Amino acid sequence: MAIRRRTGFLDPVRERVEVLERRVLGDDAGPVARRTFNRGLSAVIVGFLGMLILAPLYGFSVAAILAWLVFVVLYVPPWEVIPRVGRFVRPLLALSLAATYPFYALNMFTIPIFGAFPDVATGVKMLVFAMMAIGLNIVVGYAGLLDLGYVAFYAIGSYTVAWFASIQFAHQNIHFWPAGVPSSLPGIHISIWLLLALAGILTAIVGVIIGLPTLRLRGDYLAIVTLGFGEIMPQVARNGDDFFGTGFNLTNGPNGITPIDSPGFGSFTFLAGHGSFFTPDRLFFWTAILLVLFTVFCSLRLRDSRLGRAWIAIREDETAAAAMGVPLMRTKTWAYAAGAFFGGIAGGYYASFKSATFPGDFFFNISVLILCMVILGGMGNIWGVMVGALFLEYLDSEGLANTGAWLNSNLGLNIDVPKYEFGIFGLILVVVMLFRPQGLIPSARRKAEFEVGVHDEPLYNATHG
Amino acid sequence: MTEGNGLMLELKDVHTFYGSIEALKGISIDVREGEIVTLIGANGAGKSTTLRSINGLNHPRRGSIRFEGRDITNASPHSVVKMGIAQSPEGRRLFPRMSVHENLEMGAFQRADRKGIREDMDRVFELFPRLQERRTQKAGTLSGGEQQMCAIGRALMARPKLLMLDEPSMGLAPIFVERIFETIVEVNKQGTTILLVEQNALMALDVASRGYVLETGTVALADEAKALRQNEQVRKTYLGED
Repeated sequence: MAIRRRTGFLDPVRERVEVLERRVLGDDAGPVARRTFNRGLSAVIVGFLGMLILAPLYGFSVAAILAWLVFVVLYVPPWEVIPRVGRFVRPLLALSLAATYPFYALNMFTIPIFGAFPDVATGVKMLVFAMMAIGLNIVVGYAGLLDLGYVAFYAIGSYTVAWFASIQFAHQNIHFWPAGVPSSLPGIHISIWLLLALAGILTAIVGVIIGLPTLRLRGDYLAIVTLGFGEIMPQVARNGDDFFGTGFNLTNGPNGITPIDSPGFGSFTFLAGHGSFFTPDRLFFWTAILLVLFTVFCSLRLRDSRLGRAWIAIREDETAAAAMGVPLMRTKTWAYAAGAFFGGIAGGYYASFKSATFPGDFFFNISVLILCMVILGGMGNIWGVMVGALFLEYLDSEGLANTGAWLNSNLGLNIDVPKYEFGIFGLILVVVMLFRPQGLIPSARRKAEFEVGVHDEPLYNATHG
Repeated sequence: MTEGNGLMLELKDVHTFYGSIEALKGISIDVREGEIVTLIGANGAGKSTTLRSINGLNHPRRGSIRFEGRDITNASPHSVVKMGIAQSPEGRRLFPRMSVHENLEMGAFQRADRKGIREDMDRVFELFPRLQERRTQKAGTLSGGEQQMCAIGRALMARPKLLMLDEPSMGLAPIFVERIFETIVEVNKQGTTILLVEQNALMALDVASRGYVLETGTVALADEAKALRQNEQVRKTYLGED
């Protein structure tokens, strides 16, 4: 079992660190002690570099020091050695940090080049995209099916919520537990909470319908068909204001459907909020965190289930999986349905947050963006995918604009950086593929793919038996 | 009627195609309960295709396949496994990134009886102590012989009535080949019927009760293994004797 070590420009540094580590810990330190030492060292280096570079530029920031301390507490101590509760420490700490973000978002320090921390409304977008990326990860990361049309599921979720929580069907007058909608308002108005579930289920059903004919295809062919499907959806939305010339207005064409009801309870709506504490953005943000938690929980349970094992088997070797008794079509269709389910919920929630849905929101570039999130973070690993999604969506909505402003003011340029968004994302992806092809935080299984000398043999050869 | 003579698997005039290439040109094979039946023949004679036809990966275009009296000609691979036919495919086809343990678990994918699965896992480890030593190791990092053991073990995890082995000796050191064949006999004694595809005709005919010689997609000879060993033509072509 030969472990191929990647050689790189950091190797001399690594060697020094190893020498230092031996000097401090002795020769026979356990892996936990060594890991803690290494993490502590990198935390100190990060802190030191931060001080060295940031303090002269931006002045001394208490928030930055606090953030560094939080990072140290999260990252360095070997929490996982505590029996039973240990493995929950990091997720819970991270979760409480995220949940309290609206309270300190405005007090945060300025990140060099990237600028201020994202505001809470951007946080909602980031979380919605995290949810979609985790959903797509089921299809791409677990089952290994390349889906280039994931945006279609996002669209279906959005329009489901839009239809049943707006005045789109004005000749109807159906009200079912909507929040803060006067009963005199025409149209269908159903509680957003129910609609989110409905959006998920409907999208999953569409996923199955699309999946059944297409999943017989393999690899590239499947990618092409999903690509086509992703292209069809926005066109249907765009031209859906006069269905087949019947005058039936399903999607309101390019004008989209707006406004869409806000989530809420009784007469209380997220849109109105409540006082200075429950602002609309905070309410949407916390609900988005709950939705992401739900998605992560389901995704982890699915991964460890029999079905999850079957997906991994299919990804590794489809023919062998079939020979083991894994029903290929059914298993793949479930991956599609599960991925679509979360995409639908995310799309529906986002539509309600924006209070609008337009055909222009669902173009191919969004599919690619979500796929980039999955690949950048590390296919198959939920935490990696989440990091990838949060980061890219942050860049998409704020980061690139900030960076551009910084570049322009400091280098005296006049470039509209966000315009080059997809070029920049492409570049990021190329760099990641070159230096860390397994993604930022790969799953253990994917990591093995790249490190251990494992290779696929071309086996069953179809040309002779 | 089929149960009367213990007929387990019956292929009747099976024609299987890859695209327009007719790989099997009317093959008829019987496997009775408790037997070891071997298919021998040169490369491209149709041995692996026969197995692929049985387990549903390549459905025959003509002819019929019956297992325990039921027609499985067009059955899907997973339903074939469920009926009790498991196989160790040609080239082993382990899941390289899964551990040995996970590979064995995949073999029991169609089963839900946890207790039985654990028993069978122990049984596999008893047959192949080497696998127990390597149970947490990634299957792709095993040696060829160990991979073959893992592939056979994985097929056994389905607790099959009929075990199909495709070239279990391929690419193995002689010491491993002997060990693998001993295990095949052992598994058969424990009550599993075996259909064995081999290029190593000498070893295969030694352990088998009956054999079929395949040539370009047809059955050229069918007889008791002992008789085949005496057969002039077989000795010349497949055993390398004069």
